[in-house]
Amino acid sequence: MKRLFLLAAAVAFVATPAFAQDTITIGFTDSQTGPLNVDSLGQQRGYEYWRDEVNAAGGIKVGDKRYKVKFVSYDDQSVGGRVQQLYTRLVTQDKADFLFSPYSSGLTAPATVISEQYGKIMIDSGGAEEKPFETGNKYLFMVITSASHYLSGAVDALKQKDPNAKLALVYSDDPFSKAVLAAAAQQAKAAGLQIVMNESYSPSTTDFGPVVNKIVSSNADAFLGGGHYSDGATLARQMHDQRANMKWMSILVAPSDDKFAELGPAALGVTVPSQWELQVNYKPQFGPTTAQFAKAFQEKFHAKADYHTASGYTVGVVLQHAIEQAGSIDTDKVAAALNAMDITTFFGRIKFATDANHHGLQVAHQMVLAQWQMINGKLGRQVVWPPEAKSADLLYPIPAATQ
Amino acid sequence: MLLMLRRPFFWIIALAVVAFALAPVVGNDVSMRESLLLDALYITLASNLNLMLGYAGYVNFGSIVFFGLGGYICVWLVNSYNWPLIPSLIVAGLGVSGLALIFGFGILRLRGAFFALATIGVIEAVQAFVENFTPWGGSAGVYLSGEIFKPLGGPAHALWIIYFMMVAVMGLSLYLSFAIKTSKFGLGLLAIGQNEDAAAILGVPTSRYKALVYSVSAFLPAIAGGLYFFKSAFIQPSDAFDLSLSTEALVVGMLGGEGTVTGVAIGAFLYEELRGYLLTSSTFANFQLVVSGALLLLIVLFFPGGLMGFIYSRFPRTQKVLE
Repeated sequence: MKRLFLLAAAVAFVATPAFAQDTITIGFTDSQTGPLNVDSLGQQRGYEYWRDEVNAAGGIKVGDKRYKVKFVSYDDQSVGGRVQQLYTRLVTQDKADFLFSPYSSGLTAPATVISEQYGKIMIDSGGAEEKPFETGNKYLFMVITSASHYLSGAVDALKQKDPNAKLALVYSDDPFSKAVLAAAAQQAKAAGLQIVMNESYSPSTTDFGPVVNKIVSSNADAFLGGGHYSDGATLARQMHDQRANMKWMSILVAPSDDKFAELGPAALGVTVPSQWELQVNYKPQFGPTTAQFAKAFQEKFHAKADYHTASGYTVGVVLQHAIEQAGSIDTDKVAAALNAMDITTFFGRIKFATDANHHGLQVAHQMVLAQWQMINGKLGRQVVWPPEAKSADLLYPIPAATQ
Repeated sequence: MLLMLRRPFFWIIALAVVAFALAPVVGNDVSMRESLLLDALYITLASNLNLMLGYAGYVNFGSIVFFGLGGYICVWLVNSYNWPLIPSLIVAGLGVSGLALIFGFGILRLRGAFFALATIGVIEAVQAFVENFTPWGGSAGVYLSGEIFKPLGGPAHALWIIYFMMVAVMGLSLYLSFAIKTSKFGLGLLAIGQNEDAAAILGVPTSRYKALVYSVSAFLPAIAGGLYFFKSAFIQPSDAFDLSLSTEALVVGMLGGEGTVTGVAIGAFLYEELRGYLLTSSTFANFQLVVSGALLLLIVLFFPGGLMGFIYSRFPRTQKVLE
C-alpha cells in the first residue's frame, strides 16, 4: 500500500510540474558545412557553453521569475540565401525571442534583413566588418572590435619602438584582411611611419617565395599582413627560411592558433592582434572571470578556449545582463538596456554605438596584441600591448635568424 | 505562339505557377514562402541551364556567372544610382544577355570537355575582375541599406513582392524552355546536341544558334540573381560566383531528366525541398550531407535517365503531355 502511494506521488510529481518553468528561446544558425565550418565551431561552443552555465545556475532572472534558456539552431551551409530561409523559420515557426548571429559578416548581413524586419534583437560576435552597421539597423549589436581597429595596437607599439620603421603591408585579397590593412595603412601614415610596400595576394597562394623576395628588396623592416591560417603560417615560415630578418612581424589570425607553435623558430617574435587571450585580466562587473571561464571550458571541452569561444560566450552574457537590467524580455526594453549598457566582462569593456549611422557597433572593447615568445624554453603567446594589459615585455626587434 | 495555348502542357505550367504563388498566401506562411522562393530559384537556374545542357548538349559549368553578374548589376544600380528595382532587373538581364552573346561567339567554338573547362575559366575570370573592381566593392562586396525596401512598402511587404517576382521569373523560365523546345530553333539545338557536324551539314546555323541559346539562357538567371541579392541586401564575389551552385544546377538537371522541361523543374523542386527538410529535421540535421549524398547516388544508379526517363518508360503516354 505504501509503495503504491509512493508511486502515485511520483506520477503526480512528474505529471504536474511544481513550478511553471518559463523559457527564453534563442535562435541562430551555425556553419556546420561549407567553407566557414572551422571558424564557426568556436563561436557555437561559446554560445552553448553559456547556455549550459546559465541553466545550471537556475536561468536568467527577470524580476522575481527565472527563465531557462532554450536554443534552436540550424546549419546554414555557409550560404547567405539559406540564412534568410532559416532565420525566417527561427522567428516565425520556432518563435525565437532573441537571435544570435551566424558566423562572418557576409552571413550576418542577410540575417539582419530578417531580424530587423521582425524587430528581433540579434547580437553579433562573428563579423568584424563595419558596413552592416552603417545601414541604419536598430536591433543589431556587436560585441567584438571592428576590422578597422585590428592593427591599431600594432601601429602604436611600432611607432613607440621605432618611429622610422619602414612597413611592408602584404595581405590576402579577402574582404576582412583588406578592410583591416586599409585601416592600418591610414593609421600608419597618421603615425608618420613609412610604407614601402602595399600589396595583396590571392587567398589560395601556397608559395610566397616571390612575395618574400619582393619584401626583402623593398628594404622594409616591419611586416604587417596575412589573412587566414594556411597562408599566414606559410608566409611566416618562408620569411624565416629566406632570412627576411624583419624587426617586426604582425600577422592576422594564423598566430592566434596554437598550431602556430609547430613553425618553431619561425614563430618567435611574431605578433597577432587578438580580441581576447587567456592572459587578459579584466575585472568583470558581470559574468565569470577569465580564470573561471578558461578552467571550466577546459574541463568541459578538453581544449583551450580561444577568442571565438570567448566572444560567443560574451554574446550570451551581454544578452543576459540586458534582460536582467530591463527586468523584462520585451524586445524594446531589452534593446534600450543594450543601448545604455557599459559594462566590463572577462572579454573586456562592452558599449555600443547609439548614433544612427553606426548603431550597434562596438565602441569600448579593445584588441590586445599577443606575441610568440619563449616561455620556460617553450613557444607560447604573451600579451604585450597595450601596456596596461601586458603579461610580458614586447620583444623588439625580433632576434635575427641564427644558423 | 497561339498554338501553344492548345497544348495541355501550357496549362500545366500555368497551374504550377499559380500554385506556387498562392500556397504561402493562403495561410500567410512566410516560412513556406522562403522555402518556395529557393525552390523557384533552383527551378529557374536549372531550367535555363537545361537550354544549353539538355537541348544543345553543352555542359556549362559557368551558368552561375549569369546569376552573379545579374545580381551585381542590379545591386549596383539600386545602391549607387538609386534606381527602382524593376528597371534595374531588366537592365541586369539585358546586360548579362548581351555579354553572354559576345562571350558565346568566342568560347562556343570549343566543344565537349574543352568547352566545359572554358566555362569554369569564365567564372574565375569574372570573379577575379569583380574582386578588383572598386565600384562594385571589390572583394568586400556591397551592403545594401534597409532603406532600399521602403519603396516596396518596407521589408515585410518587399519580401512578398520579391517572392511573387521570383515565381514569375520561374514561370517565364518554364515557358521559355517549352517554347524553345517546340520551335524550329529548339529543333536545331536538339540536332546540335545529337551530332553537331551532321546538323551543320544539314543547314543548321550551328555557331549562331549556340551563341543565341547561350545568351538566351543568361537572361532569366541574371534577373533571378538581381532579385536574390537584392533580397539578401548583400553581395560579395564568393557568393555571387559560387561554383557549387552551378554544379547543383547540373545535378538537378540530371536527376530530373536532361532535355525535358517537367523533369528539370521537378528535379529542382525535389532537390531543394530535400535539402531544406534534411537541414531542419531534428533526426537528420547532423548528418544531412550523408543522407543527401546517399540518395543522389541511389537515384543515379537506379534511374540513369532521370525522373522523366523513368516516367516515360513506365507510362509512355505521358510523353505526349509532359514535355
